[in-house]
Amino acid sequence: METHRSEKDRVVLVPFTDFDPAKLAGYSPAVPLTIRSLAVFTASEVETLIYVGTGGGKLILLSLNPTLPSTSSDDSSNAPPIAPVQFLRSATVSNRVIESINVLPEIRRVIVLSDGFLFLVDTLLLQSIRKLGFAKDVTAISKRVLQPDSSISDPFGDGAVRAEFSRYGQTFLQKFGGGIRVNGTASRVSELQRGAGTGCFLAAATGKKLLLIELFLPSNVDLDAEHGSISIRWKEIQGIEGVKTMVWVGDSIIVGTSEGYILFSDVTGKGSLIFSLPESSPPLVRPLLRSSDVLLLFDKVGVVSNALGHPVGGSLIFQYVPESIAELHPYVIVARDGRLDLYRKKTGVYVQSLSLKKSSVGPCIVANDDQGTGDILVIGTTYKAFCCRKVSPEEQIKDLLRKKHFKEAVYLAEEFESEGEMTKEMLSFVHAQVGFLLLFELHFEEAVDHFLLSESMDPSEIFSFIMRDPNRWSQLAPRKRYWGLHPPPVPLEQVVDDGLQAIQRAMFLRKAGIVNATDEDFILNPPSRADLLKSAIENIIRYLLVCREKELLPPVKEGVDTLLIYLYRALNRVPDMERLASSENSCVVEELETLLDGSGHLRTLAFLYASKGMHSKALTIWRILAKNYSTGLWEDPIASVDYDSNSTSDLLSGQRVAAAEASKLLQESSDQVLVLEHLGWIADINQECAILVLTSEKRSKQLSPEEVIASIDPKKVEIHQRYLQWLIEDQGSEEMHLHTLYALSLARSAIELVERDSKLDNHLAERSNEMSASDVANKGALTYHVREKLQLFLQASDLYDPEVVLKVVEGSELWLEKAILYRKMGLEELVLEILALKLEDCEAAEQYCAEIGRQDAYMQLLDMYLNPKDGKNPMFKAAVRLLHNHGEFLDPLLLLEKLSHEMPLQVASGIVLRMLRARFHHHLQGQVVHNISRAISLDTQLARLEERSRNVQINDESVCDSCHSRLGTKLFAMYPDDSIVCYKCYRRLGESTSARGHNFKENPIFKPGWLVTR
Amino acid sequence: MASGIENKVKNAKLVLLGDVGTGKSSIVLRFVKGQFVEFQESTIGAAFFSQTLAVNDETVKFEIWDTAGQERYHSLAPMYYRGAAAAIIVYDVTNAATFTRAKKWVQELQAQGTINTVMALAGNKSDLVEARQVTAEEAQAYAQENGLFFMETSAKTAINVNDVFYEIAKRFLQAQAQQQQNTNGMILTDRAANRTTSSSSCCS
Repeated sequence: METHRSEKDRVVLVPFTDFDPAKLAGYSPAVPLTIRSLAVFTASEVETLIYVGTGGGKLILLSLNPTLPSTSSDDSSNAPPIAPVQFLRSATVSNRVIESINVLPEIRRVIVLSDGFLFLVDTLLLQSIRKLGFAKDVTAISKRVLQPDSSISDPFGDGAVRAEFSRYGQTFLQKFGGGIRVNGTASRVSELQRGAGTGCFLAAATGKKLLLIELFLPSNVDLDAEHGSISIRWKEIQGIEGVKTMVWVGDSIIVGTSEGYILFSDVTGKGSLIFSLPESSPPLVRPLLRSSDVLLLFDKVGVVSNALGHPVGGSLIFQYVPESIAELHPYVIVARDGRLDLYRKKTGVYVQSLSLKKSSVGPCIVANDDQGTGDILVIGTTYKAFCCRKVSPEEQIKDLLRKKHFKEAVYLAEEFESEGEMTKEMLSFVHAQVGFLLLFELHFEEAVDHFLLSESMDPSEIFSFIMRDPNRWSQLAPRKRYWGLHPPPVPLEQVVDDGLQAIQRAMFLRKAGIVNATDEDFILNPPSRADLLKSAIENIIRYLLVCREKELLPPVKEGVDTLLIYLYRALNRVPDMERLASSENSCVVEELETLLDGSGHLRTLAFLYASKGMHSKALTIWRILAKNYSTGLWEDPIASVDYDSNSTSDLLSGQRVAAAEASKLLQESSDQVLVLEHLGWIADINQECAILVLTSEKRSKQLSPEEVIASIDPKKVEIHQRYLQWLIEDQGSEEMHLHTLYALSLARSAIELVERDSKLDNHLAERSNEMSASDVANKGALTYHVREKLQLFLQASDLYDPEVVLKVVEGSELWLEKAILYRKMGLEELVLEILALKLEDCEAAEQYCAEIGRQDAYMQLLDMYLNPKDGKNPMFKAAVRLLHNHGEFLDPLLLLEKLSHEMPLQVASGIVLRMLRARFHHHLQGQVVHNISRAISLDTQLARLEERSRNVQINDESVCDSCHSRLGTKLFAMYPDDSIVCYKCYRRLGESTSARGHNFKENPIFKPGWLVTR
Repeated sequence: MASGIENKVKNAKLVLLGDVGTGKSSIVLRFVKGQFVEFQESTIGAAFFSQTLAVNDETVKFEIWDTAGQERYHSLAPMYYRGAAAAIIVYDVTNAATFTRAKKWVQELQAQGTINTVMALAGNKSDLVEARQVTAEEAQAYAQENGLFFMETSAKTAINVNDVFYEIAKRFLQAQAQQQQNTNGMILTDRAANRTTSSSSCCS
């Protein structure tokens, strides 16, 4: 047998053996036997029975063992000792053509149609043949196909359903045609026993009617018993003639005549035309077991209809009018003239074509197990029969994969999956297998695409491609070899090298004229090793990145992350490497330590250490990096081509980054020793970072201030100060010495700045044109800022030791600070002296007097203004101002006395004028106040008068608010809050508290009518 | 939730009938795949397609049988139009004989008593203006007489193709709703609805 197929053709059917039934049965070649009908019955997994009906009425039974190695009768040189097809026995049914053979496994019988009669025989042809006399002129016969989804689907399964079925079976058998004619044998079996047993239904077309036959074998009778024990009942449906083909599906019997197809209901017995056939279109109907549909032949078109005669899907279009049709799920096989074609039942797609050798051409019959099981198809020609096996979906795909038709294989797998012939898991398996094959074919992108489509693939399966076995994860990877179509995993480098070698070989072979299935593109454009390796790594990275998002076992997760770093490193993808290392990851540091160290990817290593909580190691690296940045170790080799001018700034930024990263780690570390160890170098690079480290609130256990302060480089004033500030302001420390230290530190800074400013001023004076004004302003601002901070602190805090601070500022120009300190120490005179004389800040001095709150303070101040020491002139303006503001405490004559006799009048007049004006002003002010007071007084009097002149009406019911006795004619009093009490109670309560408990002294009342407001 | 949506999907068996070469397959191809093939092969037997169409908040799933126009396959047609919810009878506006054949199809369907079938008459190849043999008026008049709805279509230019199916879906759903109402014992509310629509169009 030859298979014709194009490149696209698939191999679904594989011929594996052929046989000559006459030769096997030992008939003399002188009397040739012709094969006229065939039936196949899958008796067991290792035995398939083949029934061959001959033109001379012989029934030959053969046994096929499909598990035995295949053979062909022509292949004599290599014939195996046991042929897969063996002759069992034969029987002579009649002397006419055997037209059809139907195996009835339910009752272990075979029914044969020959010479217009039906013959019943046991499946192994051991017993005598029984002719069913009631059926004459039978032209067609069909077993009933039960619809799997109907209630009678499994009539022989359990008692309940069987009972239902039996009743049902009787129903339709009894329904029409004047009583049931039961043959003699049936009467032996009592009706009661019918409930248990197995049976089957047949339909036979005889002359002008249809016979519906029930063959029933009670359960108490051995299956292999004589035919006598089988009860046979039948029923007739009239009104149909010329039936050539028929099928009984569910409750429908579909018959084909040369006029067309008619559907009969086995319930009503009525027939209706499905469609008529034109001239010269032979009728042929076949059941499609899986879907309980039927295939109706119309010319070379296969029309699929359901049991009700409604169309199902589109038509199957064959290339010729077939002689024989068989269903081998999910295919329909048609045959004619020694040619076989396979179509997909659902889509009508043409799949495969097989043609028998020319010598054996003749009428062609195809048959398979009509139970819908088994993968064996038998093709009968005139003298010879051929056996084919359906290749399982897996084998079909495997076959395509072996031929490297990857796309077709995947397409086929998807098709199988969508049609339910293959599980989703299997599709995943195929995708993974295709992926591995493509990987070894050096098509890395496609390989990974398939890996990603496979839901069952574990990322650990590709670990061995990245890291040579044995590695940490070797035990982890499932030992899946798939279909063993690809070599075991080896590192990608080797995959590429081997692949390239294969391409070289193919090129060589091609030159030598041998064509093989190597990638055409690769042969025409041989890829470079570097490109391939890059593509391989990039795609594996892509795969691992997708895998990262999935839920994986912890060790697999570790593998994925570690190997990602591994691959990033291979491609020198530093940013990716660092991003992964610095984010949450499952890398195994030990695997990468030496590797990254060796290749100088120290930053990645540091990130990795940090992410794994190995802060000490991470910090050591950052320290090294910060020190060594000048040697260029930090640099990204790609970026190292940068201009030189950039490199210094990069260097700085690199160091800063190292410091920043280290500080990030330290901010969270409670390990004081570690913090103090690294604080120094961080501070050298970036003080802000150092400050952040010290003032971090992220750490669980705070550092000891004493030790931190002790360890801070005394030159790093900023750090020192900011730390103290943080301790005091943010942490609310009340340690006196810390406050003192902070004050001292601020004071020293302030002094330094002030001194620098004064130097600068001198400098500026010398060469004013060289310094920019903004520079000066900036410096001034800084000084101002520091001093303000100092002053605020000195004023706000009560915890520092003012004397110690004073010692520092004493000699400086920080007068205000000094004033604050003296004030803290209670040295009023000194404070006033500084404020009034040194700073000439009258306002502050007056304010201070107000704070002291004693009259003599003002007098002291006035005295200072009028008698300044150190040869200063009296400060008349300030004195006048003081008199003006606080004149009530002071004697203006004192001022006048101080005025020098020599003072020119115009100078003195100003002072005198102001003084007099001030006095006059005070006088007027007093008058205003006096008059206002009087007005209020008058109002009050009026209100009091009104209040007292109020009339109150009391009656018999009026009671005292206090003792609740009737007032009657008693003397009574009324409080401003309108409570009324008897006189006795009034005397008791007094004037200031009313009966309602209102205390007018503590809580005076004001009525809206009164003008007096507060 | 999904089942709620599925409940709203209504299956409708639809069959295309008409003489050979009128463009039945092209109409289906246009509707289902949005494609047009200049040299469409002649259909053998019948081809099957399915396509869903959303009408307001309901979905109609068309199960479309595109039958062969050749006379030899004529006897197959009853199998396909039996029990169909809708039929599109296609003729070629450039070929008067196909219009005659279409009328025969209408008669056949009517004779089969498929009253509930929504019938559409489609005059295909309306893009071939110069070769026209059947006027729209003539076809419209015939359609009105026989209670079909009529549209001239062009599978090539996609004119009215989707509209035919949309109109069928609408009428199919209406018929279904009416059937539902009839079974519920409510009578003839449809007429009132028609009146309101006609009055509104009058104003415009």
